[in-house]
Amino acid sequence: MAMSADEIRDKIKRSIASITFIDPGKFDDFTSYEDDLAIDSLSILEIVVDVEYQFQIKVPEEELSAIRTIGDTVKTVQKYLCVEVV
Amino acid sequence: MQPAVVVTGIGTVTSIGIGREPFWDSLLSGLCGIGDVESFDTSSYCVHRGAEVKDFRSEAFVSKLDRNCIGRASQFAIAAARLALADANLDMKTLDFERVGVTIGTTSGEPQMIERFDDAAVSGALKSVGPEFMRFYPCHVIAAHVASELDIEGVNVTIPTACAAGNYAIAHAFDVLRAGRVDLMLAGGSDSFSRITYTGFARLGAIAPEVCQPFDRNRKGMVPGEGAGILVLEPLERAVRRQARIYAEVVGYGLSCDAHHMTAAHPFGAARAMEKALSESRIEPEQVSYISAHGTGTPTNDRIETLAVKRVFKDAAYRTPISSIKSMLGHSMGAASAIEAAVCALAIFHGRVPPTINLEEPDPECDLDYVPNCARELDVNVAMNNAYAFGGNNASLILRKIEA
Amino acid sequence: MVRRVVITGAGVISSLGDSPENLHSALCEGRTGLRPIKLFSTEGLGCHLGGEVASFSAKTYLGEKNFRPLDRTSQLVAATAEMALDRSGWSVEMRGQHEVGLALGTMFCSVHTISQFDQRALVAGPAYASPMDFSNTVLNAAAGQTAIWHNLRGVNSTIAAGSASGLQAIIYATELIRSGRSQAILAGGADELCFESFYGFNRAELLCGSNHSPGDFPIPFDKRRNGFALGEGAALLVLEDAELAAERGASVLAEISGQGGGFDPSRATDSGKSIAAIARSIRLALNDAHVTPDEIGCVSMSANGSVPTDRNEAAAVAALFGERANAIPVTAIKSMLGETLGASGAMQVITLLEAMRDGAVPGISQLDEVEDNFPLRNASPDTQELDLSSGLINSVGFDGGCCSIVLSRCE
Repeated sequence: MAMSADEIRDKIKRSIASITFIDPGKFDDFTSYEDDLAIDSLSILEIVVDVEYQFQIKVPEEELSAIRTIGDTVKTVQKYLCVEVV
Repeated sequence: MQPAVVVTGIGTVTSIGIGREPFWDSLLSGLCGIGDVESFDTSSYCVHRGAEVKDFRSEAFVSKLDRNCIGRASQFAIAAARLALADANLDMKTLDFERVGVTIGTTSGEPQMIERFDDAAVSGALKSVGPEFMRFYPCHVIAAHVASELDIEGVNVTIPTACAAGNYAIAHAFDVLRAGRVDLMLAGGSDSFSRITYTGFARLGAIAPEVCQPFDRNRKGMVPGEGAGILVLEPLERAVRRQARIYAEVVGYGLSCDAHHMTAAHPFGAARAMEKALSESRIEPEQVSYISAHGTGTPTNDRIETLAVKRVFKDAAYRTPISSIKSMLGHSMGAASAIEAAVCALAIFHGRVPPTINLEEPDPECDLDYVPNCARELDVNVAMNNAYAFGGNNASLILRKIEA
Repeated sequence: MVRRVVITGAGVISSLGDSPENLHSALCEGRTGLRPIKLFSTEGLGCHLGGEVASFSAKTYLGEKNFRPLDRTSQLVAATAEMALDRSGWSVEMRGQHEVGLALGTMFCSVHTISQFDQRALVAGPAYASPMDFSNTVLNAAAGQTAIWHNLRGVNSTIAAGSASGLQAIIYATELIRSGRSQAILAGGADELCFESFYGFNRAELLCGSNHSPGDFPIPFDKRRNGFALGEGAALLVLEDAELAAERGASVLAEISGQGGGFDPSRATDSGKSIAAIARSIRLALNDAHVTPDEIGCVSMSANGSVPTDRNEAAAVAALFGERANAIPVTAIKSMLGETLGASGAMQVITLLEAMRDGAVPGISQLDEVEDNFPLRNASPDTQELDLSSGLINSVGFDGGCCSIVLSRCE
């Protein structure tokens, strides 16, 4: 069964919370990793790899730097899971 | 009065030559040891380049220990140690082996042992891992194997401070000699090619797709390598008495810790290591003739390192040649700074400095004299060797010409 | 000018307690930290006991913080460092103004992290390898993480010398202070209990219970001994230049007055060479401290229940102490903690510091009958009351490396 955007979003938020120890209640789609969460590049990469692993997708290296917010992450997962954007 | 410490023997195992002479000749001619990785299958990786040591025959160097059992890093270290001792032209019978010691730096220890463990574990064949795992895996075995092969009984320590480990090992040997605890030290670093290390750097996006281009505008990353470098260090007086060939004096060193980030360097930490080394050696930045850079070829390292050099050297930075041999050897991890220390000693002795190859387009943020592409004749009185590691471990070593 | 090196603080996390006092009380009560292992499955292995730090949680010591970037070994070290720094008075502000270093001894550091990282890459593919775990696969990871956590910007080094790593790190740090390179430096060691090292030792038949002879507990010196048990933990001392300690009014626990080390090139396969190497280390330490064996109040043995190594170390001590060999009080805390590898040396130091403070030296737990013709016979399972002003501490690796230090009470 295809995953909804909300399900994807929840899974991503849980991944971020487990890596950064930040309360997922504080996240929304506009939350920026660098500006709002103040996490370093290693943590951002860890989040991206963990998301790829959780969803079993591979994001091309050249697209990684464009993932700056939680919303970007949701859209990227949807793209590579071939799910319609909601 | 603490004795002066000098380098009287050099042994190197590298992807461009095994032994001081072949290595030095290759270095000056700009030979590159980087090729496609052969020691494991990289087809599921998006990078495939490495600097592996080819044609290494352990039977030429390991005779007492069982070379089929000991790991590759130990084999390299033994080879480099034997080469260094031969190069030092030491009459082994004159040595009191209780007062000879070994310090070796490493990043990965003997990674093939844990990799075999993991291969067995994931394929449900863990029982195939026998007692050899515990006997030959823990990283302290590298210094232990060198001492065991050569019957050395003094100080014996492995210093696994990652990519700066060679400098740390030489620094500790320097201190132990000056404290009078030993008469001779074999000091350096060794690392073998590691799937784990390769996977990690590949995952960080740090590995270059083709070549290593330190300080170049289009540099794309580092290239993992392997090898070993060992120096014979002894008190000056002893070296003079036995009429040894003296390459250079080790004058001092500086260690610092960034306490900032596990993988990203900080310019202040790197600068502090240089400042401490200069201060202890009582040398002014303007007196440094040549710097052997850490120069991995990653966009960040080379920029940060350039900033750090400018911070310490100020205007003199623009007049001090600084080259990265990682352009030719790739990054031999714990061995790197030991091999680079050997290069500093050779640069002083021969009056020539190796180039940074593949430097095609200058980077405005890296605007120092990196000895681009061709080796250069240079009267090297003082050389500085810099190394920076994961965990924020920084080490700078200073070597100086001995007046005849 | 030779600078004197003193100890101004200590921290420990072990299977028998998470403070020097708690650890020492437990040892003096003869309690064992060796229990059935819960951290991982020991199914199919001959040995099931280990000195596990039960329910370790870094937030107990460091507060509610993000510990994801640190693996278990790094958390143990960072937590222990917090304790040692706090007790020594090296506050956050002071560490901002002065460079405090760290010399950490470890045999494996993060072999569990290394293995997990590698296995995930093997199974899922290298694209899914964890970048954060990779930063903990280097053997200096725990020292680096702890430096970041506590702003330790002085000399930061990792020392590997097998099970002698921790005492070797203390010697390394002592040299740095004596030479004037460092004024204050945390020194000691750590190793975590994990499947990879446990399996390895079990497979090498070095653990009691793994080699077909009866007995599951390590009993150093005893005729029934059949190997060691594996423990874990972290132990750190704050070493300081004596003048600096005096200037800042620090309380001084003891002085490291002598040190020595060496190597047996037979890698413990020739007992004569092994004994000679250990004896040499001890002699160097005594000479360095300018003390005679008669002036030593107690010997903290490295003995962990291993059949040949216990005997070799005892022979070396006996050779140095001569007629006094069977009168010198000895202790062997690995009988209760197990072999804690990188942490062992500093744990031995902490025990002796406590003994100097409260006059009690732990016995050798479960010791019933010393092996026939064993070179040292003055061992007992009972705690001894001693007015201790100096002690010798040995750390003997199973494969060649060895070192010793002399600890002296400061008057």
